[in-house]
Amino acid sequence: MSQRSITLGILMAVAATIASAFVHPEAQAIPPFARKYNVNCTACHTAPPILNPFGQRFLENGYQLPGTEDGGIIGKKKLGDVTLDDVTNFVGFRMVGNVTRSWSFKQQNPPGAAAGVVQNKTEFTFPDAFTMFTAGTLTKNVGFMVELGHDVEGGTTAVERGFVTFNNIGYHDLAHVRVGRYDPSAFYSYVTIRQQLNDVVESTTSGCTPFTPCGLNRAGLAPSAFAAKFYGLYQRDGTAISPFASSLFNSGGETGVDIHGRPFGDWFLYQVGVLNGANEGFGDSNKGKDIYAMLRFDYAKSNNFSANISGFVYRGYSNAKVQSQDDVNWNRYGLSARATYKMVDIYAAFAVDKIDKTPTAVAGLFDSTATGLTIGADTYVTNKTLISLRYDNLDAGGMLDQRKSATFVGLQVKQFLRTNIAIFARNDFNVRKSEGSDTAARNLRNAFFSGVDIVF
Amino acid sequence: MAMRRRLMTLSATILAIGLAATTVLAVKPEGNRATRENGRVIYERSCLFCHGAEGKGDGPAGWFIGRYEAPHPRDFTSEGFKLRSTESGSLPTDQDLFRTVTRGIPGYMPSFAGLTETERWQVIAYVKSFNPAFQTETPAPLLLGGPAPLASPTSIETGRALYVRFECQACHGIDGRGDGPVSEAGDLKDASGLRIFATDLTRPLSFKNGSSPQDLVRTLMTGLDGTPMPSYAAQLTGKEDEAWYLAQYLLSLSSGSFP
Ligand code: HEC
Ligand code: HEC
Repeated sequence: MSQRSITLGILMAVAATIASAFVHPEAQAIPPFARKYNVNCTACHTAPPILNPFGQRFLENGYQLPGTEDGGIIGKKKLGDVTLDDVTNFVGFRMVGNVTRSWSFKQQNPPGAAAGVVQNKTEFTFPDAFTMFTAGTLTKNVGFMVELGHDVEGGTTAVERGFVTFNNIGYHDLAHVRVGRYDPSAFYSYVTIRQQLNDVVESTTSGCTPFTPCGLNRAGLAPSAFAAKFYGLYQRDGTAISPFASSLFNSGGETGVDIHGRPFGDWFLYQVGVLNGANEGFGDSNKGKDIYAMLRFDYAKSNNFSANISGFVYRGYSNAKVQSQDDVNWNRYGLSARATYKMVDIYAAFAVDKIDKTPTAVAGLFDSTATGLTIGADTYVTNKTLISLRYDNLDAGGMLDQRKSATFVGLQVKQFLRTNIAIFARNDFNVRKSEGSDTAARNLRNAFFSGVDIVF
Repeated sequence: MAMRRRLMTLSATILAIGLAATTVLAVKPEGNRATRENGRVIYERSCLFCHGAEGKGDGPAGWFIGRYEAPHPRDFTSEGFKLRSTESGSLPTDQDLFRTVTRGIPGYMPSFAGLTETERWQVIAYVKSFNPAFQTETPAPLLLGGPAPLASPTSIETGRALYVRFECQACHGIDGRGDGPVSEAGDLKDASGLRIFATDLTRPLSFKNGSSPQDLVRTLMTGLDGTPMPSYAAQLTGKEDEAWYLAQYLLSLSSGSFP
């Protein structure tokens, strides 16, 4: 970590502290559900956006308090013969991302630099992601959620998620149905979109053409268990799929129908779903539909302890292509677990990605199996300081001449200035230096980030 | 004088009945085994994650609520319920429990008005079974302070004088912002030894025991057991008007209508 980036981080922290001093405590805002139920974020979150078991059941019950079917009454205003949430009770914003980042490369070979030189690069950025979300209940047992995300660097705005949920069909907790664009892993032990260390996207060489390898300048920093893991895999339109991109069950947002429930009492959750197909543009679904099923076992009784374990199978049908433009079926089998004791939260996910029948055109050149392991832990060391650790190991698959495995360890310290305003500093270390020579996965030695996380 | 006292007692009783009548609409199920069993099912879905399987306040989500500070979820097996209409040191009445479950606790526990009234009574029957004292004691509500006199600049000024006389400012600060020297020094602890802060009295929506004048009088008479917030029953019994004046002063801190 360079001296300069530390100075920047400190400067930022000081600036944020001064800024927050001008915010009167009464102006302290809390996100929509907290406002609606008049509770702090800690009622549902261990460390936002990660949910505690109570928040988890609230989500499962379609944004109704666990055990209730309260959709029609709590926090509502009567307008004629309809009831509506107060506007502030269902609109929220989150701005999160790095304000500065600093990279350290080994053996990077940029124009003008000799091979083997260490290169450091520090950049100011603007918080990468700005999201606006609205969620709530329309009436008893009908909930909704829409999340608009703006990627500041990429300049794009999109509906990240948007769905309607019909709850407690049949009898209480038998079946809840989600229709729309949702996160399939929402009920998994380790949820794709609920991370302390935000994804840092890879950088690729510009001007990549369809169905040709796209050079990676810098590895992405994302949970390996959720990532695509294969080098030389393409969307049906020929766009290269980044081996670091969250995908399939762990894509964070796919369009389809999902059913989940706990009909056998509180211990087991089942989930099944059908999706248009991973990595597909809207209206251009693959030949078949992708399907998945998950089973989760929970222990959440007392002694400040809870644990759960879940496993899923995801079957893709013609959901990707290889260099030769042949369709492949890309599947994933995942296992994940989480244990929480007092203020310590530990979770892990392991996934095996498998491609059925390698097309003959790439036979012998393509490894059809890849795995990813991600282990995370969070703990509050004081009421206002959260420490998070993440370990990622990617055993990459795909084209043998391109694929590069990677192992990273990330450490983050987050300081809450208010319940809803936090600043963080994070460092990711590359702990695998053995594989390959001059490659992206190897070159990124160390990355330092500092940024803000604001929700209101 | 005695006549007046009797009249006041009578009107307080009417008030108490009136209050009870507005909160209890559904028929309260009998506290038998079937009721408790129904209550258990609701408890395990709705309350267990915070209050724990045995009601000890050690549910897996509980620790995160206040983190290293108060409050943690109530341990139903121990004494020191906060939100009561009963004398300090007593258990809460069924009505008190019903009110807590229905309104929730601002900041820490959501309102469970989404459960039907029968379901709320059932879960309360189950919660009470965690603590055997509920079987032997019959908690009785204190009579709370007679009819409210009208608020006026004089009554509020009297309330302010009482606030200073009772030294509320030591904890709550002279402007009621929760910044009294004792609280600021970090010396206040709850019954489980967790740091607790004196409430910012200018934000009535955050009051756990409610913020109507009746609610405030109840808080002052009963205290919040298990916290440093004492009961002022000794000072205020027989001086009902003073309790109302104090309540009116507290409300004036946020309304701004009587500076
Ligand atoms: C999100 C966590 C949470 C859930 C869920 C929850 N509670 Fe609580 N509850 C708390 C906390 C925290 C307190 C203590 C607040 C305090 O002391 O300031 C509490 C306190 C209480 C109290 C005691 C109030 C007093 O007088 O001291 C009762 C009674 C109660 N809860 C009942 C219930 C019931 C019944 C349910 C289920 C229907 C439930 N709670 C669900 C968090 C929760
Ligand atoms: C020894 C310190 C102390 C003194 C003296 C004290 N309080 Fe408190 N008070 C507290 C604490 C601590 C709380 C917060 C309890 C909690 O959050 O559970 C509180 C809470 C309150 C509340 C909010 C109750 C609620 O429903 O949440 C009111 C109103 C209040 N006090 C009024 C007073 C008044 C009026 C006086 C003087 C007559 C007074 N207090 C004296 C410590 C004190």
